[in-house]
Amino acid sequence: MAPPAPPAKRAVHRPATVTAVAVMLSVSIMGSLWVPFFARTQPELAGFPFFYWYQLILVPATSVLCWICYLLLRPKRQRGAPSRGAGPQGTTPQGVRR
Amino acid sequence: MIHFNAVTFTVLIAAFALVTYIGFASVRWRPGGDLTHLNEWGLGGRGFGTFVSWFLLGGDIYTAYTFIAVPALVYATGAAGFYALSYTIMVFPIVFIFGPRLWSVARARGYVSPGEFARGRFGSQGLGLAVAATGILATMPYIALQLVGIQSVLTVIGLGQGNGILRDLPLIIAFAAVAAYTYISGLRAPALIAFVKDTLIYVTVIVAILYIPGRLGGWSHVFGVAQNHLSSVNPKTGKPFGSIVVLPAGEWAYASLALGSALALFVYPHAVTGVYAAKRRDVIRKQAAMLPAYTLVLGLIALFGYLARAVPAVNAEVKANGNNPQLSVPLLFAHMFPSWFAGVADAAIVIGALVPAAVMSIAAANLFTRTIYKELIRPYASSAEETRVAKIASLVMKVGALGFALELNKTFSINLQLLGGIWVLQTFPAVVIGLYTRWFHRYALCLGWAVAMVYGTIAAYRNSSSVQSHFATSSTSVFGHITYIAIVALILNVAVSAVFTVIFRLTGVQDGYDETRPADYVADPEPAPSASARGARAPSRDSLRAR
Repeated sequence: MAPPAPPAKRAVHRPATVTAVAVMLSVSIMGSLWVPFFARTQPELAGFPFFYWYQLILVPATSVLCWICYLLLRPKRQRGAPSRGAGPQGTTPQGVRR
Repeated sequence: MIHFNAVTFTVLIAAFALVTYIGFASVRWRPGGDLTHLNEWGLGGRGFGTFVSWFLLGGDIYTAYTFIAVPALVYATGAAGFYALSYTIMVFPIVFIFGPRLWSVARARGYVSPGEFARGRFGSQGLGLAVAATGILATMPYIALQLVGIQSVLTVIGLGQGNGILRDLPLIIAFAAVAAYTYISGLRAPALIAFVKDTLIYVTVIVAILYIPGRLGGWSHVFGVAQNHLSSVNPKTGKPFGSIVVLPAGEWAYASLALGSALALFVYPHAVTGVYAAKRRDVIRKQAAMLPAYTLVLGLIALFGYLARAVPAVNAEVKANGNNPQLSVPLLFAHMFPSWFAGVADAAIVIGALVPAAVMSIAAANLFTRTIYKELIRPYASSAEETRVAKIASLVMKVGALGFALELNKTFSINLQLLGGIWVLQTFPAVVIGLYTRWFHRYALCLGWAVAMVYGTIAAYRNSSSVQSHFATSSTSVFGHITYIAIVALILNVAVSAVFTVIFRLTGVQDGYDETRPADYVADPEPAPSASARGARAPSRDSLRAR
């Protein structure tokens, strides 16, 4: 068994950030879960009933919300650094393989 | 009638030959450290960055069966088929929340399958076994359905019409090729082939969406035709075929099916394998924002069902072939595209079936090796032996799935896949809730799992309709609401687990040992194996830059 990993330096987020992330993720889940809201034909857009164009637009909307959340939760140290450098926090070389 | 089309067939064969070559060559792609370790074969060295992960997860989650079955459902019943779009929308916020912890603990502890996590977290071999067995059981029919997807393409291009071995031969050859390169290259093969698959899928969908509606008289006309068909009465059931938007009576079923499928997708072994193979923790969150590109494609493909409905020749041929709506999309390609491009589109579906089939068999093999073989049969197996066993297990899974697809009738595979979704969701408390709390007692979780499995199976079996006596739908009526069985079973599962946890605590039944540590759940270890050689307890900026 691998020895316990040393405590990871976890980025501590401000309550405002956490709340914002929670709201954005809930909105994106509820957007497709709340069926009575979008189970209708009107208004139409380019021949598409509302039911279809709403869900198709919800896809990029969810994607953008997740991206914003990703940026908000990124550890501070990385901001501005090349996007591939997520390695440094909580390095546990002995935890990689057993 | 359906005729053999040589041009379409040639394009399809060429694409198949290309991916077979890539599959075998991929063994030399980014070789990692210790090639005999299960990490290498089973998780591609755990070294996939954002770009490769995106293709692998996309290629793995959005299966060919989805690309055939979802439009088929839309073709036959209308709006109800769009639940697939809802579920692939909400799955990403869910991955965003749970994914990083799932990845971190597996990386920190060296887990290659969800069964090992359940075993290690709750100190219960039985729970690990339950998770592994459920995963394998749910995956086998899923692989078989990939073959059903290939079959519908082969039927439309005029193959697979005869009898006996000749009919099944193309399918057997295709599967033998996948089995061979998966055996040799492991997860690297589907990861590389996913590039080809996705390029073909994106090209097909973009061309189809730009080109076909114009030929059919625009979207208004397409939706109009669909509306007319769906509101007409089905002589078999005496009710309308479906509806263009979800009716109030179906809203609860639609939402619970979407939610249940989204939660289940996240605990399917092949999806977990895709997550584990990522190089870094932040790759998972980035994927949650980037993978919806595939959801958009899935939504457009779902609309193919309506496009097919608007082509009278497709309707006629679907009727002529046993009223099988699964042929609607390949038939749409055959009627709307020139032969060569129909070949490209068909290749997208066939290759789209091979990628998930490969990942699923690897995921099931990892589960078997680590949770069943190593726990029960050979506790001291070396990592080289593990890899050997996993390779053989992946072959067995594929042969089993092939047997399913060829020997048993198609309805049986579909029923089993429906059950698979219900079953696999019952590992959610151990695998996902377990990431946050180990309040639940190990035996209580086992009991909850068992009760939910039995309930789900019986509830699905007892569902009948005017055309099918068992397994007619995946929903059942609970307190007056039509609800997805998997969700009902999950609630039952959690309730039973909670009640028995309290009982076991009060009666002092011994708890399991938790081998994980709180820090494991947020760990983000160095990806490169050479990291340990550098003694990088606190890596300098230079060592970062060097990578």
